[in-house]
Amino acid sequence: MPVSSSSSVRLAEAGRTDGTASAARAATSRRRPRDGRRAERLAPYVLVAPALLIIVVLRLWPLALGVNFSFTGDGDRNGTSVGFDNYSELLQDPLFRTALRNVGLLVLLLPIAVAIPGLLATFIYLRVPGHRVFRSVYFFPAVLSPVIVGAIFNLLLAFDGPLNTVLGGVGIQPVDWLGNPDVAIFAVVGVHIWATFGMALVVFLAGFATLDAALMDAARVDGASLPQTIWHVIIPGLSRTIQFVFVTTMIGMLTSMFGLLYIMTSGGPEGSTYLPEYYIWFQQGHMNRPALASAASTALFVIMLVVGLLQVSLLRRAGRET
Amino acid sequence: MKQRALWSVVLVAGLALAGCGSASDSDSSPGGSDGKLVVWDWKSGDVSAASYIEKAKADFAKKHSGVTVEFVAQPFEQYYTLLGAAIQAGKGPDVMLFNGGGQIRDRVDALLPLDEYIGDDKQRLAGWEAFTKDSKTYAGPVTLQGHPIYYNKSLYQKAGLDPERPATTWSEFVANCEKIAKATKAKCFAQGNKEGIGIQFFLSGLGSGILSPQEYDDWIAGKRNWNSPAVKRVFALWKEVNDKGLNNEGANSTAMFNDAFAVFQSSKAAHVIGLMSDIGHWKDFAEFLEAGNVGVMKAPVVTAGTTPSLPYDGGIGYAVAKWTKDPKVAADLVRSLTSTEALKAFYADAGAIASDKTIDVSTAGPAVSTIVSDLDGGKPALHVALSSKTIELMGRLSQQLLSGSVTVDKAVEQLAASDQAG
Repeated sequence: MPVSSSSSVRLAEAGRTDGTASAARAATSRRRPRDGRRAERLAPYVLVAPALLIIVVLRLWPLALGVNFSFTGDGDRNGTSVGFDNYSELLQDPLFRTALRNVGLLVLLLPIAVAIPGLLATFIYLRVPGHRVFRSVYFFPAVLSPVIVGAIFNLLLAFDGPLNTVLGGVGIQPVDWLGNPDVAIFAVVGVHIWATFGMALVVFLAGFATLDAALMDAARVDGASLPQTIWHVIIPGLSRTIQFVFVTTMIGMLTSMFGLLYIMTSGGPEGSTYLPEYYIWFQQGHMNRPALASAASTALFVIMLVVGLLQVSLLRRAGRET
Repeated sequence: MKQRALWSVVLVAGLALAGCGSASDSDSSPGGSDGKLVVWDWKSGDVSAASYIEKAKADFAKKHSGVTVEFVAQPFEQYYTLLGAAIQAGKGPDVMLFNGGGQIRDRVDALLPLDEYIGDDKQRLAGWEAFTKDSKTYAGPVTLQGHPIYYNKSLYQKAGLDPERPATTWSEFVANCEKIAKATKAKCFAQGNKEGIGIQFFLSGLGSGILSPQEYDDWIAGKRNWNSPAVKRVFALWKEVNDKGLNNEGANSTAMFNDAFAVFQSSKAAHVIGLMSDIGHWKDFAEFLEAGNVGVMKAPVVTAGTTPSLPYDGGIGYAVAKWTKDPKVAADLVRSLTSTEALKAFYADAGAIASDKTIDVSTAGPAVSTIVSDLDGGKPALHVALSSKTIELMGRLSQQLLSGSVTVDKAVEQLAASDQAG
């Protein structure tokens, strides 16, 4: 066994009689563990520092700048502090109020957006005839760009478009899908659900893979009908998957509808299809109101924060239950 | 938790009290580099504008051979968003294209007044007013933009009407439309108000037949009386036209660009209030209807005593950023972009009515001849005088008027409030 260099030093020092070496040794032996502990203590901070720096410089600092800008003025008041003026203007702006109302509407429509992929995944899981074809057909729109989807549905939903022609063929009056303020938001949300449910369907199918087959067999043996099987076996068995799909669908609805809105309605008619992110883009890009847009961004940030925290608590509670 | 909430309150209060700096950078910082000028527009990428850009570049190279010019064509839908971001950074292009009216007037803080450089061009070019604010001119006009009423002569013929004698009064106009609808099933107006811009075309296209000359001039001068019966008549007529079925169906879900124009081009409507520059104009229509079938008429007289005229302003024009290093060189580029040779090429290839009054258009067909002959008696378009904010509100209210969710009185009241707020 080779003798280590440190042990040879120690042997040589042992022969000295002047006492200096032993004092130095004592000091070294006291410092070494303390240095080691300090390095150990600092190491996590050093390792985390680059990530922290990126978050602070590229995320938190711009966020703080944005919030700060929201308290300044636009146009002639550019650069001056205006307190909460932008926020009070936002609250008085019918466009922004419509945008907030539409966020509430999205929350209400969320169960439908989750139920559709859930039901279709159930049918695929239960092996309806042609289920393999359906699986790929359902997923296909998820790979299309919102711009393409919007352009396709602009044609389909035009007043003199094919859908109204079909309706006319069966004696139904044409519907102004994108020109009627009471209908347009539902048309856009419907298209968004159509375009995105494929991803949720895949998540549901993954959830089904973890479902206990014995329970399904037991239900079948007991003579449970399809609705009973769905209600008493599938939904309880997939509760965590359903919660996950709820969360991701909500985020998708709040943050990914800009493209569709832009192409299909441009916020119209009558401003009825505005969502906060479209409002921000419009104020910043078209109305040259960057400070007002910053205030709207801050408001959207707060909304997302509240929704996010609710989702986190929901997931945490679901985790405790299982 | 309480502690966290307290900190949040302290942070927001701090930022609210701070509230300094600005979202848009008011300090200019130098843009461009020595020997190079960067131009932003949405035209230079078009095939129809290629020879125009070449001619302008050649003209500029004669004066400044050592300066490179780089054109960056942006998508029009994103143009003002991108430009807004560049202006806020104070590091945008040296020269940039603008629509006349609100779009440029809202951004003059970032632009250089060109009056000292363009003296020689003042007489030759028309349309300066659309690029002027507080008596300072901020861009050189490339095209004239206006709203002639185009009509389909072949539909007139099929209905037994004289295509060379369009109606001069509103009642005659509606009667003609009824005859055309009966004979051809074509609607009276091709209307597209999905983006809320149909009302702009309607206001400017028909306004000179509704407002008295004095009211018209006052409107342009900023003395707008929203309570006047004539002003209310514009919006009442907008609703009435739709209610009577004179528009194509689904006007609120029909895009003006290019669905409404497609309705006119396919002879499904007899009239459309179109444009003079770029698209939706005589050249586009002539491709489908043949040049001889494209007619141009003045607004019919709706209110007795009015004198209908062609509404037009400067259409698009190039401006200079105030942060450019050598304003004289940048202004020379604007002058090259508005030189006669360059504009002649733009008119010939893109079909736009150029701002240069010296260009000969006699060979372009009857529609262009009519438009150009009406230029001298023309007046600025009514909607161009409004701020971007009021225009946007007018778009939404016009959709509400069509759907019946607001009355004319309420709509005019809101517009008056927005207009007075500036």
